[in-house]
Amino acid sequence: MIHLLLLISVLNAESTQPLRRLTHNQYNNTVRDLLNDRTRPADQFPPEDYVNGFKNQFSAQDISPLLAQTYANAAERLARTAFLGGRDDNNLIPCKPQSPADAKCAAAFVRSLGDKAFRRPLTEAEHRRYTHLLTTEATRRNDFIRGAQTVVEALLQSPKFLFRIETGGPNEPYEIATRLSYFLWETMPDAQLTAAAKAGKLSNPAAREAIIRNMVNDPRSKAALDEFLAQWLRFDLVWNSVKDRRIFPMFNEELAAAMTEETRRTIADTVWNNRPFTEIFTAPYGFLNPDLASLYSLPAPTEEFTKTQYPSASGRAGILSQAMFLSQTSKPGETSPTVRGFFVRDRFLCQTVPDPPPGTNSSLPPLSPDRALTSRQRLSEHVINPVCAGCHQLMDPIGFGLEGFDAIGRKRDTERITFFPTRETRNDTSKTVDLPLDTSGSINGMPNGKFAGPAELGRILANSRECQECVVKQLFRYAKGRRESNEDRELITQLYTRFAASQFRFKELMIWIAEDQKR
Amino acid sequence: MTKPPSVSRRRLLRGITATGTLLRIGLPPLDAMFNSHGTAYAAEQSIPSRFVLWFNGNGIPERYWIPAETGKGYQMTPCLSPLAHMQDKIHVLSGLDNPAARMPGPGNDHHRSMSGLMSGTPFTGRGAGGASIDQVIAAKIGTSTRFRSLQIGVCQESHGESIHRNMSWAGHERALPPELVPQNLFDRIFGTKPQDWLDRKKSVLDAVQDDFKDLNSGLGTTDKTRLDGYLSSIRDLERAILSLPPEYGNSTEITAGGDVKDYPRIAKLQSELLVHALAARQTNVATYMLTKCQSLVRLPWLGYTTLRHHDYTHTNADSPRAQRIMRDICRWHVEEFAFLLSKLASIREGDGTLLDNTALAYIHEHAEANAHKNNGLVAILAGHKKLRKGAHTKTTGTMAELYLALANDVLGANIDRFPTAARKLESIA
Repeated sequence: MIHLLLLISVLNAESTQPLRRLTHNQYNNTVRDLLNDRTRPADQFPPEDYVNGFKNQFSAQDISPLLAQTYANAAERLARTAFLGGRDDNNLIPCKPQSPADAKCAAAFVRSLGDKAFRRPLTEAEHRRYTHLLTTEATRRNDFIRGAQTVVEALLQSPKFLFRIETGGPNEPYEIATRLSYFLWETMPDAQLTAAAKAGKLSNPAAREAIIRNMVNDPRSKAALDEFLAQWLRFDLVWNSVKDRRIFPMFNEELAAAMTEETRRTIADTVWNNRPFTEIFTAPYGFLNPDLASLYSLPAPTEEFTKTQYPSASGRAGILSQAMFLSQTSKPGETSPTVRGFFVRDRFLCQTVPDPPPGTNSSLPPLSPDRALTSRQRLSEHVINPVCAGCHQLMDPIGFGLEGFDAIGRKRDTERITFFPTRETRNDTSKTVDLPLDTSGSINGMPNGKFAGPAELGRILANSRECQECVVKQLFRYAKGRRESNEDRELITQLYTRFAASQFRFKELMIWIAEDQKR
Repeated sequence: MTKPPSVSRRRLLRGITATGTLLRIGLPPLDAMFNSHGTAYAAEQSIPSRFVLWFNGNGIPERYWIPAETGKGYQMTPCLSPLAHMQDKIHVLSGLDNPAARMPGPGNDHHRSMSGLMSGTPFTGRGAGGASIDQVIAAKIGTSTRFRSLQIGVCQESHGESIHRNMSWAGHERALPPELVPQNLFDRIFGTKPQDWLDRKKSVLDAVQDDFKDLNSGLGTTDKTRLDGYLSSIRDLERAILSLPPEYGNSTEITAGGDVKDYPRIAKLQSELLVHALAARQTNVATYMLTKCQSLVRLPWLGYTTLRHHDYTHTNADSPRAQRIMRDICRWHVEEFAFLLSKLASIREGDGTLLDNTALAYIHEHAEANAHKNNGLVAILAGHKKLRKGAHTKTTGTMAELYLALANDVLGANIDRFPTAARKLESIA
């Protein structure tokens, strides 16, 4: 318990106060809970940047003019649909207005919605401001609902709604509630959590821990885990990937969605059933639908996404053997051992691989039917050329060990290169060359880092302290919206020690990171 | 009475129309913008100079793009052929340098080149290191129009970080994303705004601005900067709304929708909208991002669907086939640029056309694409009556030096310096 007290004192000594903007996903969830609007308006907003591997990092959360305009348009539309047809079907107004500019009812409405929108009690000045806004517009239009609609439109554009503002003082319990809620539920605090904040329960470590534990066990935390996974493992890159349709005619949007769904279910199954998180790298099963089963050459499951054991001959185990990973780290027509290696270093080991130096010619030796080379042979350029070797030694050999799976995650025994007819040879048929594969790989710099295939690589990662600690770091970055600094080193080590001692219970890790009140 | 300008309102609307969904959009009161000779503004005030910066990603196949001869009467190359009939309206430059792309720092070549190209500063790891040239110019010649500047984009391939997706930067790491959807751009420029809407918006923005005032105490510098950024966006919004002319209250129902993958069609729509915005003095400065930096766009309309543009630039890039594909892709880029030029030339303004009062600069992040070459860059200058035209010039200056010359000698925007410019480029005006 001592470290908990330590953390509380850190909270009080806080100096930096990064403002965090609601992410697009949080915006969607927040307007759902605030206005009962399920249209996910932010899916149409200008896309967010991935910084430090996530979309919620505060250093990337400026509001550009286009985004401001987008917020304004969305606010206008949301306000209109909240009171569709001039009716209050969503029961946002807690009273019956007696006249278009009923001041008492206006004040009650602003209090009830404003407190929720700003996630804390409105100040007197704010309350006056928004009540005045309501009555002005209601008088102008001779309609109370019009006034209420204008309040919604303004609240949704206020920096106090769009940003999570932390100034401490009397609002601190509400700020804690907000922080917990967006981390564990990916949305605004509900009435119960707000009441707990009001009652001072969040300022008491023991009471707070109990609340956090309940929050993690609430079904809403599933959405939060899903969002973390989607960002950490870059599901968007799978959905948006492009494959050469002459070679992979079966690759389409549905298959891409099934790929990420398999990984999502694999990890969620591990987390919510309280099994060691490291099993995600070694689990000898996946969650298959018929499309995926056919991709993996397995019998079709009776039900969509049922848990299916991978036969040992399939060479599959863990998420590194799943199409989600194998596909997004490939090029349209062929695998990329470099990208696969980079992904492992960057996402699972939290290691930084430098960018290529300026002026790099990144083209590999060209191929022809009489001079066909495997990816491994072509990439040997990287190892011979000293400018490339320094970094590529870190990446390519990892990918070499995964060459037994093609660019959409099918198992293969040979590397097949297809030469399609060009304009000069358009009357010829395409030629294919099958080259023997060497699937030995290694994670250079790691003891016993030699492996062949994703199952063996998964075992190395699962047992590697670097990888285990990286999981802690990734969740930390996601929760705090920033990269860990030197000052966080002690906390990360503590979290890692507890994570390891708990046999890698991810739910517990979520709870401990939520308990840490440092921003 | 002669007829109003040739930009057909009907054609514009048909272009946007495709599916059955109804959207209420106000029509631009084009007749109100010009008198019968299109010279109304000329009589009232001097005609402003406009600036359009055009970008498309990934560089060029030099052998199909750069003319072999210099000076006047050069032979048009395959990539430039869509501009053949307008040779006297353009000036092709080659040999330009982007030294900021070679400064040490984070990022790959595309990141570094893009930041240097637009701002003359190195990539920060997250975005451009400073304001882009269009914003520096807009601060001088864009202050009296409804929009200080417009950012327009076309290809919506969902890829990339901030530095790939944006060409305009308000400052260090402050991206100004382009509007990619014609309907939204239309709405922004010409949307229906009845009086009670204006009244309400004004009240809403007043309340929001008061919320900002509350926050100003007790925040750190970084957060203040971030809030200021949002506040200035809000103020721009207010200015744009309040300066809407009263005619914008008229509205007509049109249908909206369309296949957003048909980029050549969208490019033309965005160009038409840009021409309207410039003609109607809604803005003097615009950036036009046809494709993204390191573009991953697929090009079904050219018949190239197996790979994406960036993949083609690095897949056996020196083979005749790949070079031909890149030639066709870059010719398409130039084709869309030529469309914009001809639209600008079709609008009369003063004694000439809108094109005579608009300086356009067409740039890429790289020269030869496969090598990520960031020196020996090419550019096309077009339009403005003060520009020297009709020639191909091999030069040795930097992009920034070209910008300085454009700003000072052509646009009348007095700018002393821009990063990586030691002097003004000569012989462009």
